[in-house]
Amino acid sequence: MQEKKSLWKFGTKQVVYAAIGAALYAVLAYATNMIQLPGAGNVSFRPAVVIPMFFGIAFGPIVGFIAGFVGNILADLLSGYGFWFWWDLGNGLLGLVPGLIYPLIQDYKAGKSILLAELFVVLGSAVGMGVAALSEMWVSGADMNTVIFANFLPAFIPDVVNGLVLVPLLMIAYAAVTQRSGRS
Amino acid sequence: MTEPQVLPLVIRDLSFRYNSRGTPAIKNLNLELHSGEVLLLAGSSGCGKTTLMRCINGLIPEAYHGEMTGDILLYGESVRGNTLADISQNVGTLLQDPERQILGTYVLNEVCFGLESLGMERSEMIRRGEEALKRLNILHLRDKETFGTSGGEKQKVALAGVLAMQPKILLLDEPLASLDPASAHEALLAFRQLADEGLAVMIVEHRLEDVLAIHPERVVYMEDGEITYQGEPAGLSQVVDYHKIKLPAADVLARAKDAPETEFVPAVPPLDYSKPLIEFKEVGFRYHEDLPEVLHGVNLNVHAGEVIAILGHNGSGKTTLVKHALGLLKPTRGSVLLEGVESKSTTVAKAARTVGYVFQSPTQMLFAPTVQDELAFGPKNLGFDKETIQENVRWAIQSVHLEEELGTPPLALSFGQQKRVSIASVLSMRSRILMMDEPTAGQDYWNYQSFMDTILQMPGFDSIIFITHDLDLALTYANRIIVLFDGRIVADGTPQDVLKDTEQLLKWRLLPTSLLELNFRMFPQTGKFQRAEALARYIG
Amino acid sequence: MLVSWHYKYRGSPMDQIDPRARWIFSFAFLVAATSTWNSSMLAVLFLIAVIWYSLGRTSWKETRRGWTLVLIMLFTMIVVNTIITGGGAGGVVPEGGQLVWPEGLRLFGKLLKPGLTVDRIWFALCQLMRIGGISMFFILIPYTMDSRSYGATFSKLGLPDKLAYTIELAIRFIPSLARSFSITLDAQRARAFELDDVKGGIVRKIGRIAPLIIPVTMNAILSSEDIANAMDLRGFGQRKRTWLFELKYHWWDYAVIAFGLLIVAVSLILVYGYKLGAFTVPPFFYQLFQ
Repeated sequence: MQEKKSLWKFGTKQVVYAAIGAALYAVLAYATNMIQLPGAGNVSFRPAVVIPMFFGIAFGPIVGFIAGFVGNILADLLSGYGFWFWWDLGNGLLGLVPGLIYPLIQDYKAGKSILLAELFVVLGSAVGMGVAALSEMWVSGADMNTVIFANFLPAFIPDVVNGLVLVPLLMIAYAAVTQRSGRS
Repeated sequence: MTEPQVLPLVIRDLSFRYNSRGTPAIKNLNLELHSGEVLLLAGSSGCGKTTLMRCINGLIPEAYHGEMTGDILLYGESVRGNTLADISQNVGTLLQDPERQILGTYVLNEVCFGLESLGMERSEMIRRGEEALKRLNILHLRDKETFGTSGGEKQKVALAGVLAMQPKILLLDEPLASLDPASAHEALLAFRQLADEGLAVMIVEHRLEDVLAIHPERVVYMEDGEITYQGEPAGLSQVVDYHKIKLPAADVLARAKDAPETEFVPAVPPLDYSKPLIEFKEVGFRYHEDLPEVLHGVNLNVHAGEVIAILGHNGSGKTTLVKHALGLLKPTRGSVLLEGVESKSTTVAKAARTVGYVFQSPTQMLFAPTVQDELAFGPKNLGFDKETIQENVRWAIQSVHLEEELGTPPLALSFGQQKRVSIASVLSMRSRILMMDEPTAGQDYWNYQSFMDTILQMPGFDSIIFITHDLDLALTYANRIIVLFDGRIVADGTPQDVLKDTEQLLKWRLLPTSLLELNFRMFPQTGKFQRAEALARYIG
Repeated sequence: MLVSWHYKYRGSPMDQIDPRARWIFSFAFLVAATSTWNSSMLAVLFLIAVIWYSLGRTSWKETRRGWTLVLIMLFTMIVVNTIITGGGAGGVVPEGGQLVWPEGLRLFGKLLKPGLTVDRIWFALCQLMRIGGISMFFILIPYTMDSRSYGATFSKLGLPDKLAYTIELAIRFIPSLARSFSITLDAQRARAFELDDVKGGIVRKIGRIAPLIIPVTMNAILSSEDIANAMDLRGFGQRKRTWLFELKYHWWDYAVIAFGLLIVAVSLILVYGYKLGAFTVPPFFYQLFQ
């Protein structure tokens, strides 16, 4: 039986998903932090970015946002990189934007759902990394060219590629998991 | 005993059906719980015991939705309309896996979690938290990180977190599942003491024999959502199906004598000592040069035809030892040889052709969209050609009897099926040795027995090794037992040699069981350790 | 995989300041520093940052990773872009201006015409002070902020309980998930999986992380049912939460907060009231290049 999904609900279950998502993002980012793109500033090559995207799609925009926002904060704390509010915000949006399609998806392995998710992964990466990169313009006084080539693209491209490849795989696995029933 | 009209818990005609299911999970249950008693609730998985517990602690109907009829009275008052916060101050619940129940990073934070939720003032919170820790004799853990504590300690910390709320009723959901026998026994003594201090304690558990050791006042047995027995512990053995629930060995023996089982024979080849498959030579290991050694001078040979059980308490070094056989860890001194090749000079991928290792929880490894792909993963990594992969996959799936599930996503299967798929995904690499970590964890008696029977009767392995802390599992299935204690092999030999000294066993934190005792008593007749159902052949 | 936090108690002056006061002051600084390109203002702010940073008593050795990251960023931003390619510098630096090498520069026998102006050099200096100052505030946090404090701090700063608690819970599960990741890595390696197998294109390479990321994620999702039950069973989210972690304002915490607000107020008055926030190059600097 399908429960009605509400977009902005934040109860105990959502607290747990958000916390697990954030912790998972931090751990995976930390584990893969070694593979860094040169010249990408605050940006590292993180397959872990798919966690906020997927958590958004599976559990809603708030969960997606926290998984990305808190997850990035914790990843930077673990790596000793400091605290970079505008990049944390950008990572939050990375999860929030795909989360907007959460109420529309019933079958996570359907081609239609995956296509929609892919579209919002691209959109989310553009918005999230766009906001973070533009903040860099305001904070560091970089110009538009610098922001696009040194901040935005090196973050946007790997995020999109990772998202496009891994989010569908996670959705298919999740569809299988939900066939076994649990708390609703 | 308190006056009958103010019993802590009375359940009347309780039925519940989950929204997601067609049939009720529990039907017309009637039950009473008294202060100062331990009530054992037994039943195989799916019998409805977890649902009953959720009805009592309020998760039903707040977190799980469905249709409920009948009533639950706490101290004479219906729980309907009460919030979880209200109920939590009367009913404390300890969940199965303390790892998931513990919510605090530090012990005192964990113990005070519920008090924080109730909005309690800080000084009162600390007072109550420390009191709960003292009550369980773990005040010394107060400022430790929860993550670093041992399994037994974790459970006590979780229990302290429940006790800090000062409940009068304690529900324990399979509290022994993640503990080794010695820790389980300690935990049980703590539960008994809490009951003696006046709490009403209800334990849901299928490790019947262990719980009977603390003399529960009453036993309730459930089957298919209904109570089929309620009364003295002694009467239980007569009514329950001994295939489904593990009864004390003597009771099984008595009941099975009319339909005894035949002797179980594993499908490994005959013993062959000529060429060892694995050799450990003076192996010592430390994780880091600043850390103490965790394995000390281990010598060990594994031969074809052996079914080896590795026994030992939590933290004795079992997993570290096994990881060496696989090359996941390399010895800091001494050497490990796999079919004559030193593990230091080979890769884990190559070692996989000798040793196939199945981890404890199948969800830690299953990832593919279909069972077919899951089974092909290992052989593909080994670089086998397409035809060989096809053939291996077919053979592996047949060995675990799941042919019809090849197209199913492994993550959608039941736990037992997942367990089989995880074995098959190792089988498909055609390793010579099968190695399993806690193969029966998380399965009830019926499932665990049929699972082990299936695995050990599969052809294709030269030797099978399993890690366990279940003494009965070791003595029924293994022809060789190795006991690890504090990183050393302290015993190695046939089950009858290794397990004969009760005092020694206790020192190694292994608890003798009724099945062990029975086997020794009958050994002159049988000449071989076996399960009680099979021992029944020799009587009458 | 072992994960550990970098925080330790050092008995430093920073350890005596209430986390709430520290967050307020740090954000006040961020607002002040990003409001202006005035070099004198930035110099004062930079000095404040140096003093603040020194209160933490961290060593170079432990903070090295964070600083390396900042240096890479500064390098790409200042050296590559502002100086060499000569972009518009965020519209702050006017086009044109005095060239550093008006005759061009002879390098390896070739005559180059770099567009570098004196203005840009001065701007780079301002950037250095601004980014450097902000970095000093925020690199300090992992090393000097107790991971136990986050939930209570943000709750008392006005964040809803559930959100504040989410941070605590995430911190709790980091070591568990790190262990889960190691176990899965071992389990797949036991099936002859090698992560550093670099065959194939980018999609295939990313796909290679699927056998790791899928079990770890699904396992975590499966365990969330029990975690949510454990929380509900102890009354989570039903009443206003209190926190075991003790936070207490002292007089100096009020002073820190007041000083933070003062910095913001003064900066905004100077920038918007007196229009002193614009980027200008002091005359002496031009003379250096004549």
